[in-house]
Amino acid sequence: MRAKSFCGSVDHAISRRGFLGATVAAGASAFADMTGLDQLGSSALASQMKKNQKRVILLWLAGGASQLETFDPKPGVQTGGPFRAIPTSVPGVHISELMPQMAKRMHKTCIIRGLNTKIGDHLNGAQLMLRGRRNEAGLKYPDIGAVVAREMARLESQVPDHVTFYTQTEGRYYALGDAGFFGARFAPMELTTENRPGNIRRRDGITALDHQQRADLRVLLSQQFAKGRSSSTLGSHNEAYERVRGIMASETLFDVTQEPQKVRDRYGPTQFAEQTLIARRLVEAGVPFVRIGRAWWDCHGQNFETHQEMVPELDHVMATLIDDLHERGLQDDVMVVTLSEFGRTPRINASLGRDHFASAWSMSMTGGGIKGGAVWGKTDPLGNTVSDQEVNAGTLFATLYAALGINPHKNYYVGSRPVPLVDEGIEEIDDLIA
Amino acid sequence: MIRCGSRLHRFSHTDSSFVRIVVAAPNPEKLKLVKDFGYPMPVFDVAPVPQSTRCFFGAADFQVSEVDLAATKWEPRKLYAHGSYVTTVTLAGSALISGGYDGQLIWWDTAKNQMIRSVEAHQKWIRKAVTSPDGRYVASVADDMVCRVWDAVSGKPVHELKGHAPQTPQHFGSMLYAVTYSADGKYLATGDKVGHIVIWDATTGKSVTTLEAPVMYTWDPKARLHSIGGIRSLAFSPDGKRLAVGGMGKVGNIDHLEGKARVELFDWQSGQTIAQQEHDGQKGLVNRLAFAPDGSWLAAAGGGTQGFFYFLNSDAKKILKDEKAPMHVHEFSLSPSGEEFVLVGHNRIAQYKLG
Repeated sequence: MRAKSFCGSVDHAISRRGFLGATVAAGASAFADMTGLDQLGSSALASQMKKNQKRVILLWLAGGASQLETFDPKPGVQTGGPFRAIPTSVPGVHISELMPQMAKRMHKTCIIRGLNTKIGDHLNGAQLMLRGRRNEAGLKYPDIGAVVAREMARLESQVPDHVTFYTQTEGRYYALGDAGFFGARFAPMELTTENRPGNIRRRDGITALDHQQRADLRVLLSQQFAKGRSSSTLGSHNEAYERVRGIMASETLFDVTQEPQKVRDRYGPTQFAEQTLIARRLVEAGVPFVRIGRAWWDCHGQNFETHQEMVPELDHVMATLIDDLHERGLQDDVMVVTLSEFGRTPRINASLGRDHFASAWSMSMTGGGIKGGAVWGKTDPLGNTVSDQEVNAGTLFATLYAALGINPHKNYYVGSRPVPLVDEGIEEIDDLIA
Repeated sequence: MIRCGSRLHRFSHTDSSFVRIVVAAPNPEKLKLVKDFGYPMPVFDVAPVPQSTRCFFGAADFQVSEVDLAATKWEPRKLYAHGSYVTTVTLAGSALISGGYDGQLIWWDTAKNQMIRSVEAHQKWIRKAVTSPDGRYVASVADDMVCRVWDAVSGKPVHELKGHAPQTPQHFGSMLYAVTYSADGKYLATGDKVGHIVIWDATTGKSVTTLEAPVMYTWDPKARLHSIGGIRSLAFSPDGKRLAVGGMGKVGNIDHLEGKARVELFDWQSGQTIAQQEHDGQKGLVNRLAFAPDGSWLAAAGGGTQGFFYFLNSDAKKILKDEKAPMHVHEFSLSPSGEEFVLVGHNRIAQYKLG
């Protein structure tokens, strides 16, 4: 565990939005145009980072993508739907015909088909599948983004530790980033309206020199105020300002136009594609965790039409991202995860839709310490139950953390209370870890 | 006008090539459900055998089946299989042509009960195939956004009609749902997901004109970032002058088929809209439209979580009869007299009669 100024008390949580807002109000930004951060993407630095840090890009398929139309097809049975299964680069493993590009890359990817997470409503399902367990009364657990940020962030980093994109409105509330008892230090920078963070640019009327002088004055006053005082709140306050300077400096990383047009074309023109490309830029520059919320898969009506529309986009963007990471030598250091709050019912309803279903569904993990070509779990012929190698949310998260090099059995402390990263008795799946 | 017993006959369509005598259609007020059968899977299309009580249907079990609706026992008989959902069946003489999401068109000899040929007709899902009124051609539409016209006997391609964009304006794959012939066989109409309609000269394969019904397509750019809807049904009036277009009005929550059932009626040659009718009491897609043989009414059927079956007057502005169908209706057949309907849909097949 990295030493941070966080005291471990929920009382000391501060709102990132709050301090960002305060900072902008002060017009502070000495780093609004530090394009040099792009150089973090250089091969030398990327190589250095490989040794130190793993990162995660979570493609959050909000609303619940169908396992039957992605990773666990059941063609020809009553519940199977119209899509065919196609062979993949892993002998004997078939996925939906909607994912031909991923089929060619299946040897790089691990599929879990045996998820039984039991919770079939959006809010509680999302909270579970972003944390690996349910909150307790009086204790909010950090989500995976906050955990990875805390474990993987570098003290000297000038980039955000935890970024989420969720630019659609449906389901955003269900999947808010939450650092839980870690406090606001590891809460996400949340982008909800556009692909670039707002409110972090230096205002036109303030020069860089003005800003620097204001920052120096604030430091001076803070140091004087801190004399003779011992306050974790004060420490957190000062750290927050330092973090803001880094975050402001990273603005250009969010600018997709900095990428060559051929790279942008390769990812594609959709919003999800652009955000995924930005995510690649961010992790390459050292951001430990980026989540892209791709809403909204909740197909109670017209499930097949909607999956025919959305899965090819997912297939293309996933495949492009995986290729891009490989070409940059980052395949072992960046894990790409696709996950939802649940899957969809095998039963097809009167609107040719599928409803919420958490009893037997699928997700994928690629790179970052996960064994490629692995398939874990099996569902029955109709897809109604897990028939072998069932996985719950805790086991999934223990496996993710272990693959990233984070001991899933470590303890954090809330006050003097030890809180394990995953619940007692949960074990990772060693067979899936490279 | 000519009277014949108790039924009214009249000349309904005249031009230089033919004169057709049409029996006045029965009153929709007399609609009644005759029989209602269960089926374990959604049924997508039906083709009744003329002068018989038999029909063929295609379903989500990948099968083309046959059943005698008058038999004392409901005993569908599976004939042959596709590689995916069978979405369309149409008769051309004694040949049955079926199409499905496997992209295949299969010709079946109904007299000999054997397959004639299977053609890789489309690159993507086949949504609908219809036989021309003279029985010589079959037109099919699919999500490769092409309408292909086939010789109904030889199965050889005749025309390839390209007039629908492969992608939506938001860069997602589009879908080509609907196709129909005019009663005289001179025109074809095709309709796609984004509400674009093309009228084709069936003889030359050339585009004659286009129409737009954009309300049928809902793209949600903010909340859910995907789409729903599309033109799901088309029907020419018996005189060929009007084109009815079916689908669903704008949808707020596109998780569900909760838009109002919607029918638009065009004077297609002038491009003028005659009616834009949304049903305040029925939600979902209008999957099938058919004019009465004399043009006096327009039948519409479809559904969302529940099914509907209703009749509009000839200018599609007034609801004459409104019926809750026993299932979400995907298709219906209409007898030449306009008296008998066979509705197929979500796990049911229902027989209706007028009078």
